[in-house]
Amino acid sequence: MRLQNAALGAAGLAAFLALGEVVPRLGLVKEEYFPPTSRIASAFADELSDGSFWTALGDTLTGWALGLAIAVSAGIVIGVAVSVVPYLREATASTIEFLRPIPSVALIPLAVLLYGSELRSVLLLVVYASFWQVLIQTLYGVQDVDPVADETARSYGLGTWARIRHVLWPTALPYVMTGVRLAAAVALILAITGELVIGAPGLGARIAVAQNSQAVPEMYALIVVTGLLGLLINVGARTVERRALAWHQSVRGEVAV
Amino acid sequence: MRRLLVALAAGALVVTASACGSSGDSGASDSGSSSGGTTTVKLGLIPIVDVAPVYLGQKKGFYGKRGLKLEISTASGGAAIVPGVASGQFQFGFSNVTSLLIAQSSGVPVKAVSNGIASTGVAGKDFAAIAVKRGSSIKSAKDLEGKKVAINTLKNINESAVRESVRKDGGDPDKVKFVELAFDQMPAALDGGQVDAACAVEPALATIKSQGGQVIASPMVDVAQGTTVAMYFTSTRYQQQNADVVKKFQEATAESLAYADAHPDEARQVITTYTKIPASVLAQVTLPKWPAEPNKESIEALAKLGEEDGFFKKTPDVDALLP
Repeated sequence: MRLQNAALGAAGLAAFLALGEVVPRLGLVKEEYFPPTSRIASAFADELSDGSFWTALGDTLTGWALGLAIAVSAGIVIGVAVSVVPYLREATASTIEFLRPIPSVALIPLAVLLYGSELRSVLLLVVYASFWQVLIQTLYGVQDVDPVADETARSYGLGTWARIRHVLWPTALPYVMTGVRLAAAVALILAITGELVIGAPGLGARIAVAQNSQAVPEMYALIVVTGLLGLLINVGARTVERRALAWHQSVRGEVAV
Repeated sequence: MRRLLVALAAGALVVTASACGSSGDSGASDSGSSSGGTTTVKLGLIPIVDVAPVYLGQKKGFYGKRGLKLEISTASGGAAIVPGVASGQFQFGFSNVTSLLIAQSSGVPVKAVSNGIASTGVAGKDFAAIAVKRGSSIKSAKDLEGKKVAINTLKNINESAVRESVRKDGGDPDKVKFVELAFDQMPAALDGGQVDAACAVEPALATIKSQGGQVIASPMVDVAQGTTVAMYFTSTRYQQQNADVVKKFQEATAESLAYADAHPDEARQVITTYTKIPASVLAQVTLPKWPAEPNKESIEALAKLGEEDGFFKKTPDVDALLP
């Protein structure tokens, strides 16, 4: 089944690449602005052999990983704390709903004022965007705790920490994992956008330089890299999710009774 | 989108400029500190042809021999550089004259320290031009009335200059429809007919020309003789506190500008180190002039034009801005 899916996925990609080769060659779009796949591929190969490309890739991945790690830990800790203490939940609900829809890109001028064009500016955007994904999912997850299970734990005399560990966390984990998977993708988008607009070192800044330089195939090659990166991150996040939730029925599948 | 960012940046700037907090102070003194006789200064640049002299000067050691170590941060647009300098993230920055005048007139404490680039002053052979598609019916700037003209930023230097070209040609600039478009997208937009003309700079201009596009006017030439288009600048506070560093930067940049102006081949060569301009395009690129001194008359002309076009909150003080 998995093998078949992979084959179908590869076939879809191959068809897309072939289309990318044929459409400019037929003159449906101008080659100068939309180079055929083969030219993008050769620019891609040039990038791979360039040391500064790998530095840029490393910078982007650093911003992504660091930002995601901060957002995930903060999201989980604050999410659990807010749900466990009823007053906190009431006090923060409207604030969260107010802050959550603010687009991270709107914070770019603030980021530049605070940190100039370096990694910290990107981190600010990445953390702001991906934090809410994790926080909201954690809040929902905790809300989903079965009251009977919770009462049972209480009547067995489990303390707050033990109830968080044995009742709340296993219920919330599938939600948290979804939040982390979403956050991983959002973090990558924001890392690259931040670099592109602010100019902090990384793939985004490299795309901006290629754009300014009228180096069209190079620009598309770098965009392809960001796409591949997104794909890898998604596959990675799904693998982590499957491993972490191996015991959960959504992954384990229903056992026939 | 970009306009929104600029507006937000300007808003945020006014706040920080009036209530300049401790973060700016610490930023300035941290990076301004010297170790072993060398001062590291951060310079905010856009990675474009214009700033080649600085890269060349750095390579030639013009900064090093004065005890300056340049740490170049590239930003994708001027919008990130002015706030960066005003807040002390960068000690120096590169920006066009009108942007600096706008910042100065809205109370952002910026001070020009050195010339940046100037127009070549030769009509039809400048690094900036209004270009049209091959076979266009538009023959001169006056014909732009009622037409869609792409410029990179509305209400900034290029709008001033294009309006002046139209005015000088006997047209009414208010009848021109300006469309905001990044330089790199201009060749495709012109080719695809989304705009009727574009005010482009290198290397986009070289691309347009290579597709048969025609130059119909040289707006920077129309503004004044040898127009100063962009300058290097710092914040007034950094200038007051580190007058010696600013002086060294000024001298080193003046030497770099003069060297680059005298050695265009080396300038072209250094451009390949920080941009990805294809060799075939780079060979066609018209380099700007790099005089060591800013041309005050042209800056006054830009201030006057900007005022006529309503870009400033109050009349900018050119004398206070210039070194």
